[in-house]
Amino acid sequence: MSAQAALRPAAPRADLLSWLTTTDHKRIGILYLTTSLFYFGVAGLLAVAIRTQLSRPANTFVDAHTYAQLFTLHGTAMIFLFVAPFALGLANFLLPLQIGAPDMAFPRLNATSYWLFLFGGLIVFSGAATNEGAAANGWTSYAPLSEIKISTGLGQDLWIVGVFLVSVATILTAINFVTTVFVYRAPGMTMWRIPIFTWEMVATSLLIFMAFPALAADLLLLFVDRHLGGHAFDPAGGGSPILYQHLFWFFGHPEVYVMILPYFGVISEIIPVFSRKPIFGYTGLVLAAFAIAGLSMGVWAHHMFTTGAVDDPFFSFMSFLIAVPTGVKFFNWIGTMWRGSISFATPMLFSLGFLLNFLLGGITGVMVASPPIDFQAHQSYFIVAHMHYVLGGGSLFAIFAALFFWWPKMFGRKLNEGLGKLCFWLLFIGFNVTFLPMHVMGLEGMPRRVFTYPDTGHLALLNAIATAGSYVMVAGVLVFVWNVVVSAFDREPVGPDPWHANSLEWATSSPPPEYNFDRLPPIRSERPVFDARHPELKPDATQ
Amino acid sequence: MERLPWMTGATAQASLLVSNWMLFAYVGLAVALAVWGLILFASVRWRRRETSTTRLPPQFRNNFALEIAWTVLPLALVCVLFVYTYRAEAGVEALVPAPAVTVAVNGYRWGWTFAYRGGPTVHGSFANLPELVLPLGETTRIVLTSSDVNHSFWIPAFLFKRDAIPGRSSAFDVDPATTGSYIGHCAEFCGYDHALMGFRVKVVAPADFGRWLKSPPT
Repeated sequence: MSAQAALRPAAPRADLLSWLTTTDHKRIGILYLTTSLFYFGVAGLLAVAIRTQLSRPANTFVDAHTYAQLFTLHGTAMIFLFVAPFALGLANFLLPLQIGAPDMAFPRLNATSYWLFLFGGLIVFSGAATNEGAAANGWTSYAPLSEIKISTGLGQDLWIVGVFLVSVATILTAINFVTTVFVYRAPGMTMWRIPIFTWEMVATSLLIFMAFPALAADLLLLFVDRHLGGHAFDPAGGGSPILYQHLFWFFGHPEVYVMILPYFGVISEIIPVFSRKPIFGYTGLVLAAFAIAGLSMGVWAHHMFTTGAVDDPFFSFMSFLIAVPTGVKFFNWIGTMWRGSISFATPMLFSLGFLLNFLLGGITGVMVASPPIDFQAHQSYFIVAHMHYVLGGGSLFAIFAALFFWWPKMFGRKLNEGLGKLCFWLLFIGFNVTFLPMHVMGLEGMPRRVFTYPDTGHLALLNAIATAGSYVMVAGVLVFVWNVVVSAFDREPVGPDPWHANSLEWATSSPPPEYNFDRLPPIRSERPVFDARHPELKPDATQ
Repeated sequence: MERLPWMTGATAQASLLVSNWMLFAYVGLAVALAVWGLILFASVRWRRRETSTTRLPPQFRNNFALEIAWTVLPLALVCVLFVYTYRAEAGVEALVPAPAVTVAVNGYRWGWTFAYRGGPTVHGSFANLPELVLPLGETTRIVLTSSDVNHSFWIPAFLFKRDAIPGRSSAFDVDPATTGSYIGHCAEFCGYDHALMGFRVKVVAPADFGRWLKSPPT
């Protein structure tokens, strides 16, 4: 045994207890990712039940009570337990690696966040085992509908407690991310050299600081109303139902960007690698991220145009402005591909799917930011289509891109490319067949959150098409699960850098050792691994 | 016969809404086609043809003039869109000083009542939906509230909805522009039978409206 080998720590334990007690950011990241994917599976099954009920008019697959629980748990799980936490899990795994750090700043706090998240989600779902069933007032749980006078069941309380725990976990994680990035960067890793994904997580964390306390306050007030004699949202006691909406959307709109900025980061990491070019405008992308984050704090009442209780033009204009930095990001991604050498490995395919789908969601977003359009579109299937193009066509496609891209770094093996491409096409076609018709359903007058609808206009046909599309998406997800199984038996290990990538996580082994790096390459630009691979080129640093 | 509420618009206010919809739809479609075109063009034009694992394309980046252009042009575009949307909204939300008819609309779990000022109050049920009768070409003021939870009063053919919120009252005017029958829904989830909380709207000639007001069918 050489002297160097003797200095290396013992191989990490891999038994169950070591996973339950881990404070290693990579293991916590994988726990986060696995848990959020589990919740995705559950929320996806709920979506299939929803689509099955709506496959034809006056269907009786489920009753109204069950249906309300289905869409409440579907929305709650997708938003609070999948799309946002998946980003936190990915960042848990990647942030220390991308900045050349051995772990997060507060490893035990990090573990606390994960366990709060896991049990918060389970508490929300545990409502389904109570007499009156799970919460059934939508993921927004508007008061006074969610007040004790109407929602008498324990399910609503379990929803409040569960979502509250998840929001605390999210705030703690954001503290950890910001501290880690500001304090734990490796020598040479200036702020203007950290990868775009890390930048996006800094912007996301700042949004979490501002937004999630408002949600926590809203939930606490609702709980006080329900059980401690409060009247915050009860008009009979002088309370204001509008206040609930203000607090909720003061959180809720920044939350939309908590669920998309990290995935802008994912796309910004993947497109340069598969185009073999540096990101086009590094500074522009960073400034755009902070512009989006800043503007998103001033647009919440665009969810409330139809209340007649807010200053519509102000919130409309602020919402329009968000299109500008988002456009900057699109042009930078296209600029990165321009005159590149583009390969269509699965991560790149999903990234292109993200660009094509998210663009439509962004454009319908500008449309519904116009109050005269929102007066028709609000709470109709047009909105359902819009937000699924953002969160499903956008975030979900970036999630699959991230899984295929970083899988070899996490587990030392690639996922199968052929199955990956099949998964992409099934999801891409299935997604668009499901959600494109919903724009028209909304325009034909179908409200959201309905368990049945009349057989008027083209509603029966459009709903049948959408349901068929959702089954194609299920096939795509099953192909992914099969891919994970098949790839687990693939014994061919990948090297540290199977994609010829740029950022520091690719400078260490796959999977990385517990302490992350044996040695770091010199950091002279935001792509140190590229610089090390191409010593003939001068490092091209922003600053 | 129920009319399809596709972009027709059956009120004077709705014609403003339709032109705003169309402006955004055409601009949005043009932007979408341009950007989709750029993405697909770049993907096809610069797809990797060689099998070399090391050859690099030119490593250019940053173009200050271009980056300013793709910031300023979208900014100008959304400012123009805002001007149009501001005008349309002001027209739609304008209230006349003295409406010909005033109806107090109340939403409850799960139904609607329409109380005509100086006239009858219309009730209904799931089997026999309440009907809001409006005179053609005259201004009707809808004064909206709720007696329990949030609801939303939506007539898709009017391209308009307004939330009914307990403890608040909210008013808007409609000027029906064509006679006909339309369907309306509650658009804000209000509990299990939200999906069944519909109503009917019937626009009739002013003379017929006068007769109906005196002796509404029970």
